[in-house]
Amino acid sequence: MEKSAITSMAQLCRMPLASEDVSGNDEERWSALMVSAQSGNEPDYRFLLGELSSCISRYLYRRFGAHHFIEDCVQETLIAIHQARHTYDARRRFRPWLFAIVRHKAIDMLRRQRSQQQLATAQQELRMTDAAGQNISPMEEDLAQGQLLLSLSPQYREAITLTKILGLSNAEAAARLSISEGAVKVRVHRAISKLKQLLEAETA
Amino acid sequence: MKDRDELISALSSNLQSVRPAANANAIALLWLLASVLYVVLITHWFGPIRANALTQLMSVPRFSLEMIVGLAAITLAALAAFRAAIPGALTPRFRTFAAFVMLVWLGGYVLGLVDPTLEPSILGKRDHCYIETALYALPPAMIACYLCRRLYPLKPVNTALRCGLAAGMIPALYMQVACMYIPSHILLFHIFPGLLIAVLTAAVALPWFARLRL
Repeated sequence: MEKSAITSMAQLCRMPLASEDVSGNDEERWSALMVSAQSGNEPDYRFLLGELSSCISRYLYRRFGAHHFIEDCVQETLIAIHQARHTYDARRRFRPWLFAIVRHKAIDMLRRQRSQQQLATAQQELRMTDAAGQNISPMEEDLAQGQLLLSLSPQYREAITLTKILGLSNAEAAARLSISEGAVKVRVHRAISKLKQLLEAETA
Repeated sequence: MKDRDELISALSSNLQSVRPAANANAIALLWLLASVLYVVLITHWFGPIRANALTQLMSVPRFSLEMIVGLAAITLAALAAFRAAIPGALTPRFRTFAAFVMLVWLGGYVLGLVDPTLEPSILGKRDHCYIETALYALPPAMIACYLCRRLYPLKPVNTALRCGLAAGMIPALYMQVACMYIPSHILLFHIFPGLLIAVLTAAVALPWFARLRL
């Protein structure tokens, strides 16, 4: 394989670091804005939340791909930031504080994924896939954008995609993967733990 | 996107000023100081400490070291507990270091089963040291949970466990001078009740923390 091809593949597989989502200027500005928000400055707080929501969206899209739960996750994170704003200490860096909340919310959302609406969407996706005789659905293709999910082993990625992103039940996922329901549960649990570790490692 | 803008407007309108939480380390050290004072006072209140304990502390370096490492382990556990209640404040490195020091301290008593620090003796025996250890630890554990609850513990069970561990180990450590010194007795009647308090604190604090929308 040529060197340039190896480099481009390495770039493709490389996980974006949390620091790439935040520049040094952002860090200082957000810290100052949060201090101002703690003293009750509404415009500063609105501006801060606006910037943070874009940053969080970008962060999540790059790691998980374009999925319906990303927007929910961004909003949940904004609420958490609002509730936790008194714990921000201006003497500490803003980024670890912010990404600890983002990471927690992302994993939490992933765990809680599975509404009826998602199930309906998933079934529709599966029907489309079966009809076209394709191996992967459009929604699964979206996963390719999620570099964090790409870093999981294929077994874990399949399990978490079917249950937490496409919204299938454990039994349905087990039937599709031709494994037991227990094995699906184990794979999902391990996949979430692995995602948590990866997120912690990149923001540490 | 419209929803998000609406949410941002809702969160930022009529924004109340909030008092930034005090430094987690400062809260932890103040809590620790108050808890140690409380445990020492209440232990003396309910019975005298081992007669030769202070002499042993001065004359047996390994015993002094054991107590110092114990105090360090508890201090680190308390710092870790309060840091865990602030997003991003507890780093994996600090968490590992705190766990390591705690294991070294407790490992010392396991080692003591074959090579005791002091000559095993029933001198200073307290009849209900295990109950005392558990009961004395409860108020500091609950206060620690209360203080952490005012912050923002992202992992409530984990935080409560750490609070319980730090609180449970204070009387467990002090019993080394207040009660008889036999490593098997220490592990079973001082350390074990302290560990039990950690689990109990997590169980009690879980529904309490669950009311927080984390």
